[in-house]
Amino acid sequence: MNDAFRRGAREGFFHYLPLSIGLIPWALVTGVAMRGAGFSVFEAMGMNIIVFAGTAQLGTLPLIVIGAPMWMILATALALNLRFVIFSAAIAPAFEGVSRWRRIISGYLLTDGVFASCSPRMLASTDKDWRLGFYLAPSVWCWALWQILTLIGVLGASVLPTNWSLDFMASIALMVLLVPIVSSRPMLVAALAAGATAVLLHDLPLKLGLIAAIFVGIGAGFLAERWATENMNADAAS
Amino acid sequence: MSDSLMHSGWWLWLAFVLAGLATHIPRGSFIVAGSRAKLPAGLQRALRYAPAAALAALVMPDVLLVGGETQLTNPKLLAAIAVFIVATRWQNAWLPFIVGMGVLWSAKYLIT
Repeated sequence: MNDAFRRGAREGFFHYLPLSIGLIPWALVTGVAMRGAGFSVFEAMGMNIIVFAGTAQLGTLPLIVIGAPMWMILATALALNLRFVIFSAAIAPAFEGVSRWRRIISGYLLTDGVFASCSPRMLASTDKDWRLGFYLAPSVWCWALWQILTLIGVLGASVLPTNWSLDFMASIALMVLLVPIVSSRPMLVAALAAGATAVLLHDLPLKLGLIAAIFVGIGAGFLAERWATENMNADAAS
Repeated sequence: MSDSLMHSGWWLWLAFVLAGLATHIPRGSFIVAGSRAKLPAGLQRALRYAPAAALAALVMPDVLLVGGETQLTNPKLLAAIAVFIVATRWQNAWLPFIVGMGVLWSAKYLIT
């Protein structure tokens, strides 16, 4: 733990801190849902630590409750988590030179929020210790906050208000992440194409519409970027 | 846990472990494989668009759809527009949450 790691950790933590309140409704809802599925506190927290993924936990709960076959639980969780392969590939260059054990822990801790908010600055930095600190501090904070808030949800399942639309705070957090990213034209094209596809395909099961939308968005952004550079080259040539 | 619905304790824990593997293998895939599994440069450039695409794909259906239909006067859309304006104008990270939830609750109160 050298100076660069500590500096990265401090900067990463404060960078992510405000966004982490988007976790509050998600974690509470997940806790309430696991209690609703009939889990004991021990079972609910066991799942929370083993799986550590709100979407996968909420998505597999109904299957677990009806005693669905194992392959169906596995396939559903995989479909819900396919996006992480994309995120993992995108952020992987930032872990160059990091020991295997730390990379395994980093993989376990990878979440949508930390990926979206921290990966751009990590990939732009040349200091591997700073990058690791900038990733691990917000990730560990996210993990701890998730566990504590889910436990509150599990324990308070019967007394939490359901008519306050608190789940919308998760969407606000995602929008706060999105706004600074779409400052360039190709990024904006990627976001709009992905969003429109997700709206059109929202009826598909297993969140497959979400996966399709991510691919469409990536393709659209890539094409917009190539079109922009080709235009620039054409302008320069004329 | 009622035995009629779930087989037994170990069945439940096996389900957790499988869901866990299905989460952590995708998450760790490229981070753990590291430089041995380098993606082609073109693909890596394309993947820069993954966060923007994923975020928009998560947010837009939630904001635009009400019970599976697009509806332009729904409180969530009004709140989302307010969040976008606040987030573009000011750097304050707490403000979008305050304004967004404020607009959502006011709009719900006024519309219904």
